[in-house]
Amino acid sequence: MRTRRLLAMVAASALAVAGISACTSSSGGSKVTLSVWSWRPEDAATYKQMFASFEKSHKNINVEFKPYKATDYNTILSTGLTQAGGPDVMQLRSYGGLQPLIKAGRLAALDGKVSGLSNFDPSALEGAKGKQDGKVYGVPLEMSTFQIYYNKDVFSKYGLQAPTTWDQMITDAKKLKDNGVTPFATSGKDTWLLPLYDDAFGATRYGGPEFEKKVLSGQVDFTDPAYTAALDVLGQLKPYFPKDMMGLGETDVQTLFATGKAAMIPEGSFALAPMKAINPNLNLGAFNAPPAPGATVDHPLEVGWVDASFGMNVKSKHQKEALELLNWMATSEFGQMVADDLKQVSLVKGVQSSDELLKQMVTDYRANPTPYMMLVDFRYGTPLGSDLAATGLQNMLLGKQNAQAVSSDIQKGISQWFKPTGG
Amino acid sequence: MRWRTAIAFVLPAFALYSVFIVYPLVSALADSFWSWEGTARTGFAGLDNFRSLFTQFPLNHQLRAAFWHTVLFFVGTMIVQNTFGLLIAVLLHERKFGKRFLQAAYALPYLIGALVVGYLWNLLLSPEFGPVNKAMSDVGLGSLTRAWLGDPSTALPVVILINAWHYIGFPILLFGAALAGQPQEFGDASRVDGANAWQRFRLITLPLLLPAIGLVSILTFISCFNAFELVYALSGSQGNQPTGPGGATDLLGLIFYRVAFQEGGENAIGQSSAIAVLMFLLIFGVAVLANWYFRRREALLT
Repeated sequence: MRTRRLLAMVAASALAVAGISACTSSSGGSKVTLSVWSWRPEDAATYKQMFASFEKSHKNINVEFKPYKATDYNTILSTGLTQAGGPDVMQLRSYGGLQPLIKAGRLAALDGKVSGLSNFDPSALEGAKGKQDGKVYGVPLEMSTFQIYYNKDVFSKYGLQAPTTWDQMITDAKKLKDNGVTPFATSGKDTWLLPLYDDAFGATRYGGPEFEKKVLSGQVDFTDPAYTAALDVLGQLKPYFPKDMMGLGETDVQTLFATGKAAMIPEGSFALAPMKAINPNLNLGAFNAPPAPGATVDHPLEVGWVDASFGMNVKSKHQKEALELLNWMATSEFGQMVADDLKQVSLVKGVQSSDELLKQMVTDYRANPTPYMMLVDFRYGTPLGSDLAATGLQNMLLGKQNAQAVSSDIQKGISQWFKPTGG
Repeated sequence: MRWRTAIAFVLPAFALYSVFIVYPLVSALADSFWSWEGTARTGFAGLDNFRSLFTQFPLNHQLRAAFWHTVLFFVGTMIVQNTFGLLIAVLLHERKFGKRFLQAAYALPYLIGALVVGYLWNLLLSPEFGPVNKAMSDVGLGSLTRAWLGDPSTALPVVILINAWHYIGFPILLFGAALAGQPQEFGDASRVDGANAWQRFRLITLPLLLPAIGLVSILTFISCFNAFELVYALSGSQGNQPTGPGGATDLLGLIFYRVAFQEGGENAIGQSSAIAVLMFLLIFGVAVLANWYFRRREALLT
């Protein structure tokens, strides 16, 4: 007796260690537990609430939310999907970050299985597609936009307004600098921000989506004068960045901005909550950089990209229930929760954020979108385009390389794996 | 019988050593000869992974720069540790009171993890909010303040100083023990012969300290070439971008980490294993050579 009990205990704890929960059916009988993995431990409580309302309408399904540390998630997920005890449904990276799992055959294609995919724009699904087979592997969760926030109180103190022309933006920046206020709080230490800064200020110079099309088809490459000039746009703004930019991380510059030491900050929609946390009384506005000198488009562009989606483990033992959950994630009910509770930009058509600023960002993006090109298109091979651009831009801002050298390094790195579609 | 007993004693340690040391080493070596797609092994790659380290742009440039940074990191750390460490150890050796306390005080940072040390110095050196720049401005040195870790010309020297600060307790303890173990008679005899303090140090104490200096140097070499946490905590690591301003503090250990865990390349396992194998060969080879050299010098002394 005792040995059997011991064995049972060992077996039970082994199961627990392996993280198996998906197949344990409760004493009730047919109730199924879906294991959902994510890289957002900070959202665990919110997700629990959200899934509770799913469980209410799907009595036979129990959802268990299992978050992991974001930095470890890729490794944990890629191992978890190969063995028993993996997730049924899991949060997925986008674009290039998704491809290794698709190639390894770990994900189930959702075309025809999740009817709710029609609730998304084609561009929203782009982030969850297999590069080679063009199939959709995830239900888009949320997107990020990137724009310039400004502190309304600081602006009104110096009689400024959100700029509508480049010259006005520079004049404003000069005025702020003369008054001892850092015009733009930018970080050079968290280098991943640099390509985003360049898109935020310079996308109008190279032409945004038009240029993207041309570079993907091979009509132009990154040594194109328009692209080099766009890199230089950021270089020209250096006098209006913090003197110690290269020693400042993202949180540092968010603090500079939130405490009023800087008047503007190029940041993502995802930074709204953390900046409000630093200073709840922050009076915020947002704008997109006006067309830069020599711009090839005549209106501001807003940078955006799909951040995450939810997909299904091809080995899941509860595919029917998992698909039910994914279908629910494509509804406006879930989308509204993403907007209101997770405070993210939902991609479900028709969902509006209750936060005015987020709402404005989404509207601006839908009207004049431009992709975060290095993430959206150039992370399908190594070296990643975003890494090359970040390294080069940092060198440029340090004065170690000029824009021309940076663009030729980007081209040299990317051309090792990227083949244009022809034309 | 005696053999059997011996085996029974050796076996547990040997088994643990095999599982936790030998097996990972061998499997990393094996992994480096295969090509990978995520965690799936796709085919025998021969030396392709190794070749890619020297041909794929910008990895090849990064590796070259990181190798020299690591060399500088080691040389700088060793110079500071062997000179200051020895100086402090000698001064402590001469002291009667407070010796124990000071030894413990110097060894204290050594007991803190490198990640914590990096984090603390990061806060101290923060250009906008840190006390270092603030204190400098307060005493009228405001013109010298800078983003210590954000300026390519100061980043690596600052990292070296922090590293030496962190580990200086170890050479102090080691040199202290070696000094305490030196026979009194040599010093007395040379004093009778009329040697002054400097001559006694240079001709008697220093040669007798050679084994300790050799040991400190070899251990510093190994830890510097494996260094990762400190720089990671000080400068971070993103995607596959060289760490530090303009890549100024990029070390070999960081490149390995980035290729293995951060870049997200399909062949990450193959390429990072190749880096690990090369690093192991380099560290192992140099450590063996240096050990042999110091042994020979020791033998000449006796």
